[in-house]
Amino acid sequence: MLKKADTSAIWAIVASLVLFFIGGLMTTVVPPMVDKSWGQPFANADKSKGPTGHLRRLNGLELAGRAVYVREGCWYCHTQQIRTLLADTKRYGWKGVDAPISTPDEFVYDSPHMFGTKRTGPDLARIGGRYDTQWHRTHFRNPRDLVKGSIMPAFPWLFTNKVDLTGYFAEADVIAQKAAATKDPALVEQAALAADLKAKLGPQAANLTEFDAMVAYLQTLGRAKDWREANDYEK
Amino acid sequence: MQEQFSRAEAGSAGTGAIVHEDLTVKWFMLSSISYFFIVGIIALVIAAKFVWPDLMGTTSWLTYGRMRPLHVNGMLFGWLLAADMGLTFYIVPRLCGVKLWSEKLGVATGILWNIIILGAVVSLLAGRNKGWEYAELETPLSVLVVVAWLMFTANILMTVAKRKYQAMYVSIWYFMGCLLWTAFVYLTGNFATMFTTGVNQANLNWMYVHNAVGLIFTPVGLGIAYYFIPRASNTPLFSHKLSMVGFWSLAFVYVWTGAHHMLHGPISQWLQTIAIAFSVMLLIPVWAVVYNLLITMKGQWHQLRDRVELKFLMSGVIFYLLTCFQGPMHSLRTVNAIVSKTDWIPGHAHMAVLGAFSFFAVAGTYYAAPRIFGKNLFSTALANWSYWMIMIGGLGFFVTLWLGGFWQGWQWNDVSIPFIKTVIALKPIWTVRFVSGVMIFAGIVMFAYNIMATALGPQSESAA
Ligand code: HEC
Ligand code: HEM
Repeated sequence: MLKKADTSAIWAIVASLVLFFIGGLMTTVVPPMVDKSWGQPFANADKSKGPTGHLRRLNGLELAGRAVYVREGCWYCHTQQIRTLLADTKRYGWKGVDAPISTPDEFVYDSPHMFGTKRTGPDLARIGGRYDTQWHRTHFRNPRDLVKGSIMPAFPWLFTNKVDLTGYFAEADVIAQKAAATKDPALVEQAALAADLKAKLGPQAANLTEFDAMVAYLQTLGRAKDWREANDYEK
Repeated sequence: MQEQFSRAEAGSAGTGAIVHEDLTVKWFMLSSISYFFIVGIIALVIAAKFVWPDLMGTTSWLTYGRMRPLHVNGMLFGWLLAADMGLTFYIVPRLCGVKLWSEKLGVATGILWNIIILGAVVSLLAGRNKGWEYAELETPLSVLVVVAWLMFTANILMTVAKRKYQAMYVSIWYFMGCLLWTAFVYLTGNFATMFTTGVNQANLNWMYVHNAVGLIFTPVGLGIAYYFIPRASNTPLFSHKLSMVGFWSLAFVYVWTGAHHMLHGPISQWLQTIAIAFSVMLLIPVWAVVYNLLITMKGQWHQLRDRVELKFLMSGVIFYLLTCFQGPMHSLRTVNAIVSKTDWIPGHAHMAVLGAFSFFAVAGTYYAAPRIFGKNLFSTALANWSYWMIMIGGLGFFVTLWLGGFWQGWQWNDVSIPFIKTVIALKPIWTVRFVSGVMIFAGIVMFAYNIMATALGPQSESAA
């Protein structure tokens, strides 16, 4: 049958596309339809089913930090996934507590996804809460001051580049109005996040750098699952 | 049937009167070797940063995180794909016994491609990165890629449609497959991803990343190898049947394997198992192709001594065989648990894109350049030197990274070793990689200089 493709270009084209689409559809369109957890945010209140907690969206400052993470290519050296291997759960655990395995429902708000492929540096899936701001400040100024032998680049410009949240807060006001009108849970959550952030930052909001945004983002990583003390930093 | 193939292969004998303008080929060839050289410098810089992390470290646009995507995109799209497109423009009219459908459209495609690559250089250094591997380019640039690809596709398909010989040689199937699959694979990786998040998006991204190699660079690279090996050695292809087995099994099997990039990761187990099963099945198309090409050379191996194209082609075939043996093996869960996320992976990736497919493209360029410019190759000795430099540098690069990566993974699996110790342990490995990179780069310079000197050198009567 495929012999026909020797002499007929149309035949060759049709046959190669049909074969391609069988696998293409089966591996891209079908899986999210079969596995609902790919699109369902993590939420668990039952201790017997594993770690409790829920996945929240990121606020404007954290999103700005995430954008810097994407821009600076941190993801070429750092993964964000605790795999189903002891080597991962033990290595990235905390004071004897194993790091929970990453599940699809912890990533539903991520775009672009930051799973990564290469661990030139350690995995960051559960980095949130591990180090305080001071640690990160020294580390981003020059990693080798803190960790001898590190090959992570220094990122001095994060301390001078400003982050402007006025646009975010203006948008949040619109969202708050819509949220009040529609009671859409997604909008309500976003409005609440913005209000919290505004209250927390106060006058500081006018004076933020990309470093502040980056730390805010890093501290959220891996915290949907309640698996360790909130601010028990390593010195 | 077989007769027609050998006639198509014999090329000029059958075509007689046709004079190929090859303007498009010249555009693609000269721009691709320029990017090979320029992006080669970037490659050295990022390899050096593993050894001297403070090198050029305080300027944002020279940081590792911006140079690496420039290296990857520059090499894949600026060098390799452009070189492959140029060679497709060279081969298809010759196999079809007609002129290229439209040289004007071809040259326009070449110019557009250069605009895209230059745009990529500026935007990537400025940190404008979409955040998906191999799909970093900003949306306007990826739209231009699609436009350029459609122009390329139209030109090649129209040439095939107007062909003089009805029977199509294997290379033509591979090129047509590449044209069509690429279109869908590229759209998935660059546009469908926009409408998804999280694991769903990652799944589409890996489908693209994997098939960028498997359904773009593999078919066009094999098309080139299938054409130039019989051509350069003046030997007919061993088996037409076997080439069919190779092509059609590739068409079916390759696309299923994307999820093997997320083994043990947060993606459905059943999908991981499917990806593993199909990764192992990939041995079928690979062995069919490699056997066919190796047997074609039976009794002709002595020709490697004085034909540099054949040196590159046959080494490329061997690297292809090794890469595609390594791939299925490290898709197995036990092996994957050691080597995934380590330096083994760049060792593997470079054997494919540098070892196999760049070797095919370099060989094709060495073969085609004297013919399209109507000159003699500037220097055969220099060409041989370029082969040995890239070959030895390449082996140094691949082998040290496999050993180093395996050792790194082994250390990670012992959780009593702090992470930073595993970084320090790899420094000698990264030093050897840098030195091998310098050798590869020296080979690239010799190659690029040789082709440029051929293009600009004096006219000769003997070549053509
Ligand atoms: C060239 C590769 C590379 C790049 C790019 C890179 N890092 Fe790192 N990173 C490392 C290495 C190696 C380590 C381990 C040594 C250390 O702690 O400095 C590390 C460690 C870290 C740690 C501490 C992890 C732990 O568990 O102790 C954090 C946090 C971190 N990096 C964040 C970032 C961020 C954010 C970026 C982007 C702005 C980034 N890294 C870019 C290589 C890199
Ligand atoms: C001078 C020779 C070269 C050197 C020194 C070099 C160096 C590097 C380095 C240091 C990386 C980053 C690896 C990491 O993340 O740890 C890399 C990645 C990469 N390079 Fe090269 N490279 C060279 C040639 C090439 C060529 C010729 C190509 C393609 C035609 C290429 C394609 C790639 C790709 C696709 C990646 C990403 C690999 C992945 O996804 O794991 N490189 N290279």
